[in-house]
Amino acid sequence: MARKAKPKAGGFVPTTVEVEGRTETRIVEVPAFEPAPWTTDTPLHIVGTRAPRMDAHEKVNGRARYTADITRPGMLHAVMVRAQTARGHIAQFDASAARALPGVYDIMGPGDAPAKTRLFGTEIFYHGQPVAAVCADTLANAERAARAIAIGYNDLPFAAIFDDAAAPDAPLVKPGGNFAPQSPVIIERGDITAGLAAADIVITREFCTPVQLHSALEPHGACAEWEGDRLTVWESTQGIFRTRGDVARALDVPQSKVRVIKDYMGGGFGAKNGAGPHTYVAALFAKRMNRAVRCLNDREAEQVDSGNRPATVQRVTIGAKKNGTLTVIQLSADVPLGISGWEGGPAQIYHELYACPNVRSEERFAYINASGMQAFRGPGYVEGAFGLEGAMNALATALRMDPLALRRKNFTKKDPRQGRPYSGNALLACYTEGAERFGWHTPRAPQSGRVRRGVGLAAQVWPTGGGPPSYAHVRINADASVDVLAGTQDLGTGARTVLSQIAAEAIGAKLAHVRAIIGDTEHLPYAGNSWGSMTTPSVGPAVRMAAMDAQSQLFQAAAAMLDTTPDMLDARDSRITVRDTDRSMTFADVCKRLGNVMIYGKGSRGPNPANTAINTFGVQFAEVEVHLDTGIVKVLRIVAAHDAGRIINPTLAESQLEGGILQGMGYALTEERILDRRSGMVMNPSLHDYKIPTMADVPQIDAFFVAGADAAANHTGARGIAEPPVIPTAPAIAAAVADAIGAEVFQIPLTPWRVLASVPARR
Amino acid sequence: MAISLPMQLTVNGRLHRVAEPQGTLLDLLRDDLALTGTKLVCDRGECGACTVLVDGRTAYACLTLAAACDGTTVTTVEGLGGVDGSMNDLQQAFITHDAAQCGFCTPGQLIAAHDLLARHAAPSESEIVAAMSGNLCRCGTYPKIVRAIQAVAAARHEPSATSATPGVPRGA
Repeated sequence: MARKAKPKAGGFVPTTVEVEGRTETRIVEVPAFEPAPWTTDTPLHIVGTRAPRMDAHEKVNGRARYTADITRPGMLHAVMVRAQTARGHIAQFDASAARALPGVYDIMGPGDAPAKTRLFGTEIFYHGQPVAAVCADTLANAERAARAIAIGYNDLPFAAIFDDAAAPDAPLVKPGGNFAPQSPVIIERGDITAGLAAADIVITREFCTPVQLHSALEPHGACAEWEGDRLTVWESTQGIFRTRGDVARALDVPQSKVRVIKDYMGGGFGAKNGAGPHTYVAALFAKRMNRAVRCLNDREAEQVDSGNRPATVQRVTIGAKKNGTLTVIQLSADVPLGISGWEGGPAQIYHELYACPNVRSEERFAYINASGMQAFRGPGYVEGAFGLEGAMNALATALRMDPLALRRKNFTKKDPRQGRPYSGNALLACYTEGAERFGWHTPRAPQSGRVRRGVGLAAQVWPTGGGPPSYAHVRINADASVDVLAGTQDLGTGARTVLSQIAAEAIGAKLAHVRAIIGDTEHLPYAGNSWGSMTTPSVGPAVRMAAMDAQSQLFQAAAAMLDTTPDMLDARDSRITVRDTDRSMTFADVCKRLGNVMIYGKGSRGPNPANTAINTFGVQFAEVEVHLDTGIVKVLRIVAAHDAGRIINPTLAESQLEGGILQGMGYALTEERILDRRSGMVMNPSLHDYKIPTMADVPQIDAFFVAGADAAANHTGARGIAEPPVIPTAPAIAAAVADAIGAEVFQIPLTPWRVLASVPARR
Repeated sequence: MAISLPMQLTVNGRLHRVAEPQGTLLDLLRDDLALTGTKLVCDRGECGACTVLVDGRTAYACLTLAAACDGTTVTTVEGLGGVDGSMNDLQQAFITHDAAQCGFCTPGQLIAAHDLLARHAAPSESEIVAAMSGNLCRCGTYPKIVRAIQAVAAARHEPSATSATPGVPRGA
């Protein structure tokens, strides 16, 4: 196995990591060695194959244990009591009747939780805010007691929508003001005035996107248990180490005394990135009662108060020469974050998808009296794509130009923000192959009748380089089975499988002999959160390096047994062969002779390549059918072409594409949290009233990858893929609807009544 | 319905006596019998995650009172295969076709699909969609679930065909 010598191994260097559009500089150590990259031409036998998902057996026979399935001896149940007003103070709190009910162990109300948990203050900032919690022997008893707590509120005026929070005479949403500290966020390159002057055609549009709810089927939840001063938390989380840090900080416990375990997980989509109120409540009750305590969101809490993709209003001005060359892109956006959140606005994609010399975005981020936003699969870029790609499609119409040709015309060979070269970029190939498989250039018959078909497209960019720090260990057991140890998590994405494939490839073992052990802070080396499509490009290289380290030790032992030198050895299918001879030994033979010698390989993720943009690209084409009298939209088919570098497991990656497309389709057509402006209440907090796609809504999906390994991104050649497919779906569908009805659409979801309102009168 | 106490019911082939049935069949399965494969998601019959078979018919365990199950035969996802964890052809097809991402809805999907195939040996795609559209999946695994069900139907119809052979997905 080729290695590049790294003389500075052991030193620390700064490197750049992009997390969901935010660029961070991190100090990381240089790994002991830097493996030669797996290029497109490297012969690989396990990486790139359609290996079945390695934890699928447990998922289909009901034995997979999720956080909600964890029970501990003597475990108690905790439920939250939530505020019934959008803004105010608790004037009265009486839990005496609740305490007298059977099975009730403990109640925490105003002032009872440590300050760092930020729980159970007396000031209310949104409807559904946790104000108290009950702990009882059964869930039913806890719920009964929760209903028996009498709470009185002094109501205050509040703002539940952006305009109410931004008004000159707005009520104070929360101390510190109604706008986020960084607001307005202005990003600018070039000269907007010059760009407008240079344009032959300028169009301006306003686009609106809704609040989308993650709606993971497994709710947020935790089970907590203390043994002396050590706390174990089972948590449904995308970040075990981040959860550990949150819990340790909030409860003033050293991190070494907090263990976070996440085995199976029923979806996250961005909303499960750390500890939450349920975590602290479980841990606090567990401490107070000296019993294990489980606290799970019920479905209503999950829909009301567990995160969301914030709404946006995007005013877009875009100008181009007659030949389609963009001269200016301008965005002004309003984003109501909820009571908390970060500045994950729609602007980034406006700066990144096209070559345009003059781009300016101004985003205003307001707090409103509603539950706070959380990252949601492709945060910002999903919202932004609807505006940018909607404007691009309108521009194409104004230019009488094929929207695909307009995109080709403005393809950027370099990262347009910083002029960095891409590690790889096959977006043009995505355009070509996607258009061919969709039949984009096939002439369509003229439409008549009350059911009209339409087609549309949209493109996508997303930062997917991943990065350090991330560590992995690979150990070979005495029977030659292989354990991959990494403190990462599998949300249902397939991380267990992907990491096992990388390890098996790198060590030369049979895949069936390899098992990935993840999701436990006490026994596993650090890995970051599974967000930003980062797990494969972050943890994958560390796993490969650890497997190579283990293989190197195994080869040293085997070389003596085979009377040769380690550099003469190769391994495949758990057999070591001496090159150019017929001599070989199985891993099991070597391990048997070694007895209980522990072969333990270590790996870490090296720094990212300097001055390089690492992105995943793609384009999606949609065909829809619209009934002009009912406004009902049926998506007939989606063709999705994406470039994510090397695909470790095509089957699992295609599942990611299909899943992203379906979430994007829900965003386009049906998903919208309805928040009542006058009460601050969520009006559709159920899976009946908040409509995610069902099997009956699924179009024909042709989702595939172009291009090969991206050896410049990292030495596995793989970039991230989880988030990119959700980004272009809604604007592609909206374009298809516009094509079908013969009028532009500006707001999603495209519910029947919105579509009807957009259908031209004489159509 | 007359309720006699203690009640008894057969779950996955094993007889259980329940002294005081409280709450729903879902509570009974998950909390008393430790059969946690059946999931609680919406608690009001909107999502299908808790789908089980009661006397051979699908039921939402979250909406079924435990006390109403006296004398019934219940099948959960744990009962589809063998006690040793071995799998039936439907479970195997879900693995082969990657019809489970996070896996949380999978037990309900499997029971609904099992019921569909028991009623229709060779369902059309629209019959599959109609039968399965009450089972929500947020990961968007639907296309793979359809493929898995089609493969099982084909293999049962034509035993020489093997459901273990995945169709070559587009883009391969």
